[in-house]
Amino acid sequence: MTIIMEGGEAFFAQGNNTGCLLVHGFTGAPNEMRELGEHLARADFTVLGIRLHGHGTRIGDLVRSREQDWIAGVEDGFRLLEGCCDHIFVLGISMGGVLALHAGAHLPAAGIIAMSTPHHTPNPFVPPLRPFLPLLSCVWRYAGKGSDLQDEEARKTHVDYHAHPVRAVAEFEDLVRQMRAALPALKVPVLLIQSRADEIVPAEHALQIQAALGSADNSIVWLENSGHMVTRDIEQDTVFKAAETFIMRIVKDIS
Amino acid sequence: MSAIMPGGEPFLFHGGSTGCLLIHGFTASPQEMRFLGESLASEGYTTLGVRLAGHATSLEDMQRTRWRDWLASVEDGYNLLHSMCSRVIVIGFSQGGVLALRFCAGTAVDALVTISTPFDLPPNKSLQALRPILRPLSMIVPTIAKGTGGWVDESRAAERVAYDAYPLRSIVELDGLLKDMRTHIKDVNAPLLSIHSRRDDFVPPEDMGRIQKAVSSQTRRSAWVERSYHLIVCDVDRNLVLEAILEFIHEQVPLSS
Repeated sequence: MTIIMEGGEAFFAQGNNTGCLLVHGFTGAPNEMRELGEHLARADFTVLGIRLHGHGTRIGDLVRSREQDWIAGVEDGFRLLEGCCDHIFVLGISMGGVLALHAGAHLPAAGIIAMSTPHHTPNPFVPPLRPFLPLLSCVWRYAGKGSDLQDEEARKTHVDYHAHPVRAVAEFEDLVRQMRAALPALKVPVLLIQSRADEIVPAEHALQIQAALGSADNSIVWLENSGHMVTRDIEQDTVFKAAETFIMRIVKDIS
Repeated sequence: MSAIMPGGEPFLFHGGSTGCLLIHGFTASPQEMRFLGESLASEGYTTLGVRLAGHATSLEDMQRTRWRDWLASVEDGYNLLHSMCSRVIVIGFSQGGVLALRFCAGTAVDALVTISTPFDLPPNKSLQALRPILRPLSMIVPTIAKGTGGWVDESRAAERVAYDAYPLRSIVELDGLLKDMRTHIKDVNAPLLSIHSRRDDFVPPEDMGRIQKAVSSQTRRSAWVERSYHLIVCDVDRNLVLEAILEFIHEQVPLSS
């Protein structure tokens, strides 16, 4: 028996010298980026989907995770891709998008795609409660979480934890703050993908991120009907196509 | 600005359809396995050196990690390598060898190499005396400094990327991992090569025989080196280690054309 659950496996596909690093979201697993990865691999890109620390195993492991583990995990994937690619794009969903934008300011990425990415912690109680969360988490370990995944089939096969560890929410808040501080320093091209029907990260977050970006080359692709998990929801083909087009365009500009 | 200590990053060298997964030791970093990784890559193998959770960042990060995090890092590396290679050889140094044995007890691989690998906690007198109270002690004494020495070729010591202390809490984890490995080692069936130095002053040379005896593998080979101490993958014997590994995997997992 392995530590990692089914659907929590990191994945790799060797393609050309353009690499795509795929980063899943908070309490999620590599599985939520796998179909996007398969699409990008068919477009002949090299693809690597990481598993973030504490994810894809059991929820108790996430309680011990800290934001620096997730940041280091993204760098791990980035360094592995550097061994076989000349240009590396970082693509992330939700907290994976936060990590992707953070990576764009700290690692030599060619471009960033952030999907359903929060500009701040969506729950308004979290920022003021942040200093008390570690202590609070000793008695209140897990908070409930919802799903707004519209696609019935995707809902059945989704791999994630069914709650938010309160201790890890504190780390999430710290990470989002770090990302916000890094946005003006981000100079590489950025594509944001956001659904107006996202019930977890409201649509205005994409606009707030866009307004804070230091990147001159930035744009938003809007979806109308998907829930938060846009890589697996009813408009996933639009997401896949937008990601592929963006990467193709940047690579053409570089070479 | 990177989160990982410079030089301590994981690595991937893309080669043929036979892959080598390289696992570094306790408190060290992928840098320790880089020579083997680069050398095996130049022989046509795809090589991937994982960074174990909590390593090559900060000692505080390591104190928080548990052995299941380290094993999960090994599984990550295997999953990545297995996506690109039809055959996988797992190579672990010291604690990396313990993780390799534990991993191969649950997953069938094509070959397994353990280097300077312990079967139990080192029989150091003070360590054995403190063993029952290590966990509470770690709250008062979080780390113990590493001694100097251990090198024959001192010039290699400068390249090393590792923590300069041992987190006590992590020794408890190492102990737990060793126990779990010993429970599962009989399920290891892959062809096994073990390499150890007769002069290893950290992990007793006898541990190699205990590992060889405990596995269920049909093919069991062992090789000795003589000149270096524990760090045989980096020190003066590293070319001998490489040759022993190459000979073993050429025989057990012939490169397909």
